[in-house]
Amino acid sequence: MAVVKVEKLKAYYVTGIYGVKRTIKAIEDLSLEINKNEILGIAGESGCGKTTLTKVLFGMIKPPLTVLGGKVVYNLGDGNADILSMPSDQLTKLRWKEVSYIPQGSMSVLNPVRRIKKTFQDFIGTHRRMEKKEDFEILVRNYLRDLGLPLGVLASYPHQLSGGMRQRVTVALATILKPRIIFADEPSTALDVVVQRGVIQLLKRIQKEQKSTLVLVTHDMAVHANIADRIAIMYAGKIIEEAKTSVIFKGSLHPYTKYLIDSLPRIGDKGYRVSVPGTPPQLSSPPKGCRFHPRCPNTREMCKEKVPLLVDVGDGHKVACSCISDEKI
Amino acid sequence: MSLLRRYIVPRIIQWLIVIFVGVTVAFLVPRFTPTDPVQTTLMRVTAYGAINPEAVAKLEEILKDLYGLRGSLFQQYVRFWKHLLRGDLGPSLTMFPTPVIEVIRNSLPWTAGLLIISTIIGWTIGIIIGTFTTYFSGRKWTQILDTILMCIYPIPYYIMALVLVILFAYVLPVFPLVGGVGIGLKLSFSWTFVGSVLKHGFLPALSLIIIGLGYRVLSQKALVSTVVASDYVTYAEAAALPRRKILFQYVMRNTLLPQITDLALSLGLVFSGALITEYVFSYPGIGQVLYTAILQGDFNLMMGITLFSIVGIATAALIIDLLYPLFDPRVRYR
Repeated sequence: MAVVKVEKLKAYYVTGIYGVKRTIKAIEDLSLEINKNEILGIAGESGCGKTTLTKVLFGMIKPPLTVLGGKVVYNLGDGNADILSMPSDQLTKLRWKEVSYIPQGSMSVLNPVRRIKKTFQDFIGTHRRMEKKEDFEILVRNYLRDLGLPLGVLASYPHQLSGGMRQRVTVALATILKPRIIFADEPSTALDVVVQRGVIQLLKRIQKEQKSTLVLVTHDMAVHANIADRIAIMYAGKIIEEAKTSVIFKGSLHPYTKYLIDSLPRIGDKGYRVSVPGTPPQLSSPPKGCRFHPRCPNTREMCKEKVPLLVDVGDGHKVACSCISDEKI
Repeated sequence: MSLLRRYIVPRIIQWLIVIFVGVTVAFLVPRFTPTDPVQTTLMRVTAYGAINPEAVAKLEEILKDLYGLRGSLFQQYVRFWKHLLRGDLGPSLTMFPTPVIEVIRNSLPWTAGLLIISTIIGWTIGIIIGTFTTYFSGRKWTQILDTILMCIYPIPYYIMALVLVILFAYVLPVFPLVGGVGIGLKLSFSWTFVGSVLKHGFLPALSLIIIGLGYRVLSQKALVSTVVASDYVTYAEAAALPRRKILFQYVMRNTLLPQITDLALSLGLVFSGALITEYVFSYPGIGQVLYTAILQGDFNLMMGITLFSIVGIATAALIIDLLYPLFDPRVRYR
């Protein structure tokens, strides 16, 4: 069952300086379903619209980001609701209690002049009414203990914590009210691999214990391999392939995904790693037709004209490539 | 107490050193200038007719004694410190024999009161306006406020002050034109006295607040615009924290540190007076006294005012240093 359903989403960054309008087509005609209780990984290179997608999914839309069309429907058990047409106070009510967000660059998401405890108080107090101060204390302490975080962090300021600890605190802060959907945007980037593992496992544990849905955005394929149930590959503002993790790693169909997987190092294999030829497209003027065609090894004439649709090729494996859908159908 | 030993004591020692060096320099500089106050006074006395040279020589000796200019530079310096530690700044040379300390006592409270109050009010208003207009930028009222401030900001201070005087003391005689308090009123804590002081101080204070506002708002806007774009504010907004909380605890709180430094430093400057304000509003104050002292080579008076200035600024810096850890947890005692 889909918890979040994205339909034909179109989100641009629209800026204007001295009357010259500039649009960056960050997300173009994107559809996606996120299932209940799954960990969905969203992968792609920098600047492909991953962060933009998470922001829109979370309903955090502030100019210059503009949604030009499409729907983002949450199904939280009490019927469907399109968050893009929802009044903002209603959306506010969903925040933290139902949907939560772990931001990119968590190093500096904690207010530097506020003790961690105060920050917890701010975030929890906004969304849950606490009768007594002790209730709040108990809630936070129990949760941190569950997650295996030292209680000493509560009395600290952010700068007194290590990067990994700060990240874990942010994870705890985002999940303490047990939201049903968690969006995590590069939660492990900027951490060394050992700490990364700790954070990722923490996220996985939270997801399992709270039976929530985790949407994990990162460019790090190793992280995806470790925890994602399904992976969606993004390229230039579109999803080009979507499948179970094992399928993405072993039986991917889209040429871009193939390049991506082939570029990963493997134990014992000392061969030269080939990268994708060319450079990522400018999203202000993306290529016509299939956005990958200038870099694709098997471009055909039709690729330059026809935008390939995301087609199910069986067992939930979806690909957006004219070559493949033509062959299979 | 390691806090006392590690953090407070070194800073107090530093404060003493700053004052010592400052006072020494202030002692030396006038003595290297070509103006000789003894000769100036002698000239003034002898200008009205010939006086017996013996008497002149005797007068010169007496004057040197009185002015503390006898002996070598070092002897003068030692004597100067001895007097200073007893709180004796010597007599004013131009208003002889009034002691310097009394001249300062008569003028400093006016200036200090006016400047401290107007600086603090201006600082508070400026920070609030700067924060609100940046955080709520794009709304009608912020744009109007911004435009007004941008128009006021470039106006030279003396013009602004004159306009206020003409408008509110002459055209609409709401406020008095001259002085710090009504003529003939004795210092007391009666309503009439306090009311009169407030009435006299209102226009000068207003002019200082208005003119300081532009700078304060602009600097606050710059600070706020970086903080608003910071990750922690974005995250707090994503979590839908109450506006008020974000505005005060997340935005304003983080911009306060540089503003507090600036406030303390501008308060330290209070002791050198505000010459233009005092002239335009005929306000009794230390600025005018200092100006006259410089013109007439009144060493002792200059020295006295400079001393207050040095102590004022050094103390302001000391207080900020001691209070910093309260405002920013990242500043911790070494």
